[in-house]
Amino acid sequence: MDYLDFIDTIQSIADGVLFGATYALLGIGFTLIFGVMHKINLSYAAASIGAAYASLLILAGFKVPPAFVFVLSALCGGVIGGLVYWIGFKFIPLNNPLATLMSTLGLLLLIDEIVVHTTQGVPLAYPVLFSDVIIPAGPFNLRGDLIFVFMLGCICMVLLLLLIYRTRLGIATRAVSQQPVASALCGISTTRVNILTFVITGVLGGIAGAMIGAAIGMLSPLLALPLTVKGLIVCVIGGLGSIPGAILAGLLVGGLENLFQFWRGVSERDLYIMLLLFIFLVFRPGGLFATAPGRD
Amino acid sequence: MDFYLGLIQIIGVHTLLGLSAYCVLQTGQVSLAQAGFFAIGAYVAGMLTVLGHWPLIPALIVAAVLGGATACAVGFPALRVKGLMLVVATTAFGEAVRLFFFNFNYQLERGELKIGPHGGEGFRQIRYFPENGWSTLEVAIFIWVIVVIVMAALWWMDRTRAGAVLRAVGQDEFASQSSGINITAVKVTAMTVGGVIAGIGGGLFAHYTTHIEHVQFGVALASFAIAYPILGGLSNVFGTLIAVIFIQGFLIEGLRFMGDWRNLLFGGLIVLAMNVRPRGLIDENTSALFKRALWPRKDRAGA
Repeated sequence: MDYLDFIDTIQSIADGVLFGATYALLGIGFTLIFGVMHKINLSYAAASIGAAYASLLILAGFKVPPAFVFVLSALCGGVIGGLVYWIGFKFIPLNNPLATLMSTLGLLLLIDEIVVHTTQGVPLAYPVLFSDVIIPAGPFNLRGDLIFVFMLGCICMVLLLLLIYRTRLGIATRAVSQQPVASALCGISTTRVNILTFVITGVLGGIAGAMIGAAIGMLSPLLALPLTVKGLIVCVIGGLGSIPGAILAGLLVGGLENLFQFWRGVSERDLYIMLLLFIFLVFRPGGLFATAPGRD
Repeated sequence: MDFYLGLIQIIGVHTLLGLSAYCVLQTGQVSLAQAGFFAIGAYVAGMLTVLGHWPLIPALIVAAVLGGATACAVGFPALRVKGLMLVVATTAFGEAVRLFFFNFNYQLERGELKIGPHGGEGFRQIRYFPENGWSTLEVAIFIWVIVVIVMAALWWMDRTRAGAVLRAVGQDEFASQSSGINITAVKVTAMTVGGVIAGIGGGLFAHYTTHIEHVQFGVALASFAIAYPILGGLSNVFGTLIAVIFIQGFLIEGLRFMGDWRNLLFGGLIVLAMNVRPRGLIDENTSALFKRALWPRKDRAGA
């Protein structure tokens, strides 16, 4: 491998890691809901894309600067998150994991179809910020839009970690995820924590959706299924219920994905990500940050 | 008329797909890999009849064996994990199979034409039925004979010791392990049986559509596969059949007049069905009710 190839390889890994911030946010969403409710919310990535679409629609209606799209998307994400809890989880007995799996799958299809229906299936251009900025770093060039997306992702993660580890709500959330019965006995309202978790992950998802739109430059309903798969993979590689794990795994998957794309082309790229997941499942089934076995 | 026969064929093949997921769901595992086994069956059977000039039934048998073998091989590493991990692992496997066929290129020169799977363009000209002069009706009957055989086998299995073991593992793993059941063996067996059924279904699918490509075997098909038995209920095989007829016959074909709105209704109805009947359309109570209505005396004797 000569020098230029080496530079290109590093460059593609760096671009991938920057984009990986979006995967990390999606992975955190899946992981948080799983941690608190021990349920899987398949509609999460679709809801994120839906929130990004909703923010675009609102943006088209009102004359506000394009930077507001992120705030709007986060708000829409929170609302959609609450709705998803209301429709897909509220009335279904919690001891039946298959039913909630199915209802969130139905919601995935529903959100996807609502998006297709309102936009006639045409991909929409998304406002890209800082796309003309290119930061040279030695022999490498860092794209301004990707850097912006990465920084935004990092800010969200820091805020989320502060929320989880420094506030009363965070303590309640962690208590419910460790011992739902005991925390209910201590006077924590499990339902309230569940709803708030859905709203918080929804806000995160909305930001992730907006970040994806900003990094790719457009939105398409076709993004929902691949992103669901990616988010789930990230959350398993990171270790279920582990937020630092999801962050690391998101960046790892993002970087490796771009590396494989550089080496083997776009059509084979995801194949290697799946293989990576299988390697993890065989040799380290708990993921990067596995919780200690035996704890319920 | 041909439209209805085509619909009957679709329902038959999707019933096989649903039944393959039904086997795995019996043990309490959610597998989204069924579309992968289905794809393997479709490509293998198609290649054998088109490139190898095999008759259909041996090709289907090979497809079934290969589907089962893959399922068994996937089962061992994948079933070490459960719940969400298994969903993700099997999703990833299904996607890996799809991506494999997306990049799979094996074409032979046959006169003017090149035939065989061709990467993203798919696998065209699986013309076994037209070449051998099968009418649509005969194809539909052939598919349904296989569906009936598989359903009868599963119906019988539900009533034997094997069915009881499967259910025991599905309802409480710890309890069944304590009573001496080897749960890994049971799960891998269920997965293998599911793979065999999906392989047959895939082989039939390839032959009646005559054109297969990788996009048909994505996550969407895998979610349909588990949607049928979960919507229909896991208490017996007819739940799956009814769910397939409901989804394919009513939601997809019957509501065509609604145009775009049909797709919206589809996801919404799944959510509604799960809210109203979380244990499926036909759960244990419903089937017990049917039994009492049909054989009242036997029930009294049993009680």
